[in-house]
Amino acid sequence: MESPQDAAALPRDRRPWVHHYGAIPADLPPPAHSNLAALIHSSAERFAARRAFTSCMPNGMNGSLSYARVDEASDAFAVYLREELGLAPGSRVAVQLPNCLSYPVVAFGILKAGCVLVNTNPLYAVSEMIHQFRDSGAEALIIIDLFVDKLPEVLPHTAIRHVVVASLAQFFPPVVRQVVQAVLRYWNRVIPPCQVKATELGLALAEGRRLRQAQGIEVAGYWRDLVPESLAALQYTGGTTGIAKGAMLSHGNLLTNVSQIEAMAGSHISDGEECVLTALPLYHIFAFSVNLLAFFKHGAHNVLVPNPRPIQNLQRAIENYPVSWISGVNTLFNALLNEEWFSLYPPRKLRAAAAGGTALHAAVAERWEKVTGTPLVEGYGLTESSPVLSFNPLVGVRKPGSIGIPVPGTEVRLVDSRGKPVAPGEPGELTARGPQVMQGYWQQPEASAEALRDGWLYTGDIAAMDEDGYLRIVDRKKDLILVSGFNVYPNEVEDCIALLEAVQEVGVIGVPDPDTGEAVRAYIVPRDALDRDTVKAHCRQHLARYKVPKQIAFVDELPKSPVGKVLRKDLRAEYLKNHPEIATAGSPAC
Amino acid sequence: MLTPLEETLLAFMMAVIMLGMGSSLTFKDFRIALRHPQAIGIGFASQYLFMPLLAFLIGRALQLPPLQAVSLILMGCVPGGATSNIFAYFSKSLVGLSILMTVCSTLLAVVMVPLVLAVYTSGIDAAFQIPSANIIAVLGVLLVPTLLGMWLRRRNANVGACTELVGGILGVVVIVFLIATWVPRNWQLLMTTGAEVYLAAVGLGLCGFIIGYGFSRAARLPPLKARTVSLETGIQNGPLAVLIVTLSFTGETQQQMLLIPVMYGLFIVITSTVVTFYYRRCSLREELARDQAKVEAATQGR
Repeated sequence: MESPQDAAALPRDRRPWVHHYGAIPADLPPPAHSNLAALIHSSAERFAARRAFTSCMPNGMNGSLSYARVDEASDAFAVYLREELGLAPGSRVAVQLPNCLSYPVVAFGILKAGCVLVNTNPLYAVSEMIHQFRDSGAEALIIIDLFVDKLPEVLPHTAIRHVVVASLAQFFPPVVRQVVQAVLRYWNRVIPPCQVKATELGLALAEGRRLRQAQGIEVAGYWRDLVPESLAALQYTGGTTGIAKGAMLSHGNLLTNVSQIEAMAGSHISDGEECVLTALPLYHIFAFSVNLLAFFKHGAHNVLVPNPRPIQNLQRAIENYPVSWISGVNTLFNALLNEEWFSLYPPRKLRAAAAGGTALHAAVAERWEKVTGTPLVEGYGLTESSPVLSFNPLVGVRKPGSIGIPVPGTEVRLVDSRGKPVAPGEPGELTARGPQVMQGYWQQPEASAEALRDGWLYTGDIAAMDEDGYLRIVDRKKDLILVSGFNVYPNEVEDCIALLEAVQEVGVIGVPDPDTGEAVRAYIVPRDALDRDTVKAHCRQHLARYKVPKQIAFVDELPKSPVGKVLRKDLRAEYLKNHPEIATAGSPAC
Repeated sequence: MLTPLEETLLAFMMAVIMLGMGSSLTFKDFRIALRHPQAIGIGFASQYLFMPLLAFLIGRALQLPPLQAVSLILMGCVPGGATSNIFAYFSKSLVGLSILMTVCSTLLAVVMVPLVLAVYTSGIDAAFQIPSANIIAVLGVLLVPTLLGMWLRRRNANVGACTELVGGILGVVVIVFLIATWVPRNWQLLMTTGAEVYLAAVGLGLCGFIIGYGFSRAARLPPLKARTVSLETGIQNGPLAVLIVTLSFTGETQQQMLLIPVMYGLFIVITSTVVTFYYRRCSLREELARDQAKVEAATQGR
């Protein structure tokens, strides 16, 4: 195998995609800032008076923060962390917040303090919280008041010594804030009493401001020594497959990815003019890098939606703000297209939408472009790569069904099971190398060595590259279905079924089968009346015989991850639970 | 009889309710609703064909005196109230559809109420008839806050959302207010009122629920939509009827005319609550059944 140095000097003919870059620089200049805190501060100074974040509730109630205010409040929070809590640089601080105004203040504050951000899903169960907090060694936790009832069970098992509690309506205008809190507390009854020692975020910020003033603290001093190699975040991943591991993302990793995102999408982003809808959770790497960091750098107005489900929760946000960008996943775009208020009156200022997280169905992309008249382009990446590895260029050739071309500064190789590059056009495991690839998994040398080999990140995704260098994800390695020895990729079958008008959503898995080893099984959420024979006849028209689903189940909804990925493993688990006889009947033939 | 202060208060509260309703709406909502005319159409038919006819027939069957017959028919003619939206929410029905039906029937009321009322009360002594101009004036006054609400929402989403909330709460408060001010003072009247008036006041709402549901189902609306239309049909805008009566009559006549609207308001809260609990159970049962079907489909779906 060639050494990393050889690969870095790959000739242009080994990077066929470079021909499609157009105005995009083939080689990325080094980021202008040495750490994220410096980037955040300079952007905040540049766009000071502009609105940075708005949090929009389902009924339209909202609050906003300007760039200057986010900067000031995150400074105060950094001071609170360092001076009041006495945290050292590099200390891990866990954040368990949904999309709300507190999120940017807290996350930026942690980065400015030189601490390490540990994003945590607010919906985690007690055991998941304990695992993540213990593994990361978090010393402080910022949590939303909706879930403080889990803390008495969690905290004794962790190193967390300080808890700060934020509310959904934090930073809202006073009257509106009281109304939202009263509705949540007394009507919905979703705010439990806090039974552990905790500080309210407003008080923490006040204390930070007081200390800053009293001691004449220069906050920039906290981040002056941070270099691109300094650890910025532990981003946990792998929760859908097993025990979650913390991907170590450095300031340099994230800064690079911000530059890569702007290189690919810059043609459609005007400084200080965009309004981006953030329906995906910011604790997830996709929204974190794209919405929170990249759009903040360009002075965009970020409209945060605390919970995009049901999808009507987005209606007021889309109606009330001049949304020009939407980032999302396949299921979100699909759900929006199924709403009349959206498909009849799509946002007028929309310029483009970015899809990631999971395969974008060609049918959804096509409908989106027809309804909104703007491109919906697919990108690809992993938590381990901060996340963007590839993206369809907005100007030039866009290939539907493709995850685009590698972003500048990124090399991609497709390899077989022995790690050897596959022949051009053949599917192989996607491996990538670039300055956005993580440093490794936190305190997991074995898993790190498995994922990172000679500097190449092994993604576990099977992809194919065409002669232009455009990549197409064939499927997850582990989702591959083996029917009588033939490879069936669930994505291909899902794409085909999704073409049917009457299909709203579909998920395909392989299940054990006595005749063929595994059989293709499709779960369909119908939009209109639909029967199994229609689906099968349709599939027979478009797919090879062995790929046609043998089993079809109609369901009301599909299990999904927080960002809306269909969880095939849950479908499989449920199937096996309901068919215990099959689960123990031995492994499939071939 | 209501004092002038109470009348003003009533009119004010009605305006706030309509303001709240307006601030939950955009013009887009109307355009979308117009693309789905069937539910709105069915609601409209239930509201302006069946309810007045029902009121007329009940009045006839119970041989109500002219004063009460007119007020019962008025009760049948007035559009759905904001209360129906709240009950739609509690019963897990379609709140959006409920609000749209309320607003559409209120807008159309300017034309429909005087028209329908004139048809059904044509045989009654002119002295007891309600002047069309009064109705149009009242409804016109209510339209202004609705439009104002829509404008408010456009101007400032926070003000709009707060107004919407206040309007919804006031919808219940106003009924409590009416009952609290009217019942104690008219205890004597209530005690001497005949059973037929009670029957009419209770029966109108109950029959409205049944007819709204039956007609919707006959027109092939799914049960959930049918339940929404049912609540919308049965629950009339009682306070609006009270307001129209107080503006059109005085003294003893007003007292007598108010009997049915106020009693209707009193009993509709009780019957709606019962019906809401029942509908809520239906909605929950349907959700459960869907879950069950999901499990079955997943286990036997081959």
